[in-house]
Amino acid sequence: MDELKPINEPEPIDRMNEFESQLQQAFVRRPAPPGLKRRILDQRNRRLTARFHSRIVLWQRLAACFVLAAALGGGLTWRHVEEQRKGEAARVQVITALRITNHALNEVKARLAVRDE
Amino acid sequence: MARNWQPDFERLVDEHQSMVFSLAWRMTADRGLAEEIAQDVFLELDTHMTRIESPQHALFWLRRVAMSRSADALRRRRVRGVDLWIEIEESHGAPQEERFSPLGARLEQLLTTLPEPQRAALVLRYQEDLTPEEIAATLESPLATVKSNLQRGLKLLRAKAECNLKDYVRPGKSLGGARADG
Repeated sequence: MDELKPINEPEPIDRMNEFESQLQQAFVRRPAPPGLKRRILDQRNRRLTARFHSRIVLWQRLAACFVLAAALGGGLTWRHVEEQRKGEAARVQVITALRITNHALNEVKARLAVRDE
Repeated sequence: MARNWQPDFERLVDEHQSMVFSLAWRMTADRGLAEEIAQDVFLELDTHMTRIESPQHALFWLRRVAMSRSADALRRRRVRGVDLWIEIEESHGAPQEERFSPLGARLEQLLTTLPEPQRAALVLRYQEDLTPEEIAATLESPLATVKSNLQRGLKLLRAKAECNLKDYVRPGKSLGGARADG
């Protein structure tokens, strides 16, 4: 880094310092465009609103999914219960039919026994 | 550090919009692009507000992100093959009252012809009055690189100024005394 070492000639250093001070004056911060802050805040508000809306949409979708899942689950449960009920009714009917048959057979058996005597 | 400091977005925009805009403009030499970059930087700040710990942190963060976004924008434009160095003389719709001294405008124009790392170092050095160490931290570059960029950038700018701005800058034989050590 030889260039960093100060040199003995005073004139170029003075000129460089003068040039640097000219640079510092030239490179002052420029004022921001008049509408920049408003645009930033508008865009920020739009983003916040969009985020709020997307959050609402997300919750709506979640709620819709929940309702759909509940309806599906309810339907499946109802179907299961209904099948069980029908099965039970069929079992009762079969048992009743068997009882009637049994009763009829017993009656036939009794009549045959009477006739054989 | 101010632990109880509560960042106020609007206030931060008020305080630093000029700094962010100027950095972006001097880096890109495009007023419209600089406005876009400034907007993006502040919107990004908004999403990082919870991580900002103090006013100094906010200032450092804004400088770093402004420089980084400007470099990204320059890279994108290079990739697209657009000639970046649109004449700054036109000022891209800047009102006339915003124009600074003729020397300032010419120096800014010459600045846009420097390589990007040198331009970045010079802008942070002379616009923001940062030390080489602070510039190195802002640009996330080694200190030696920053010092070298400052030296070379200053030398090159001075040489260009001597050629192009004879009315304003006194010609010199040597440029060895460049102040790059902060």
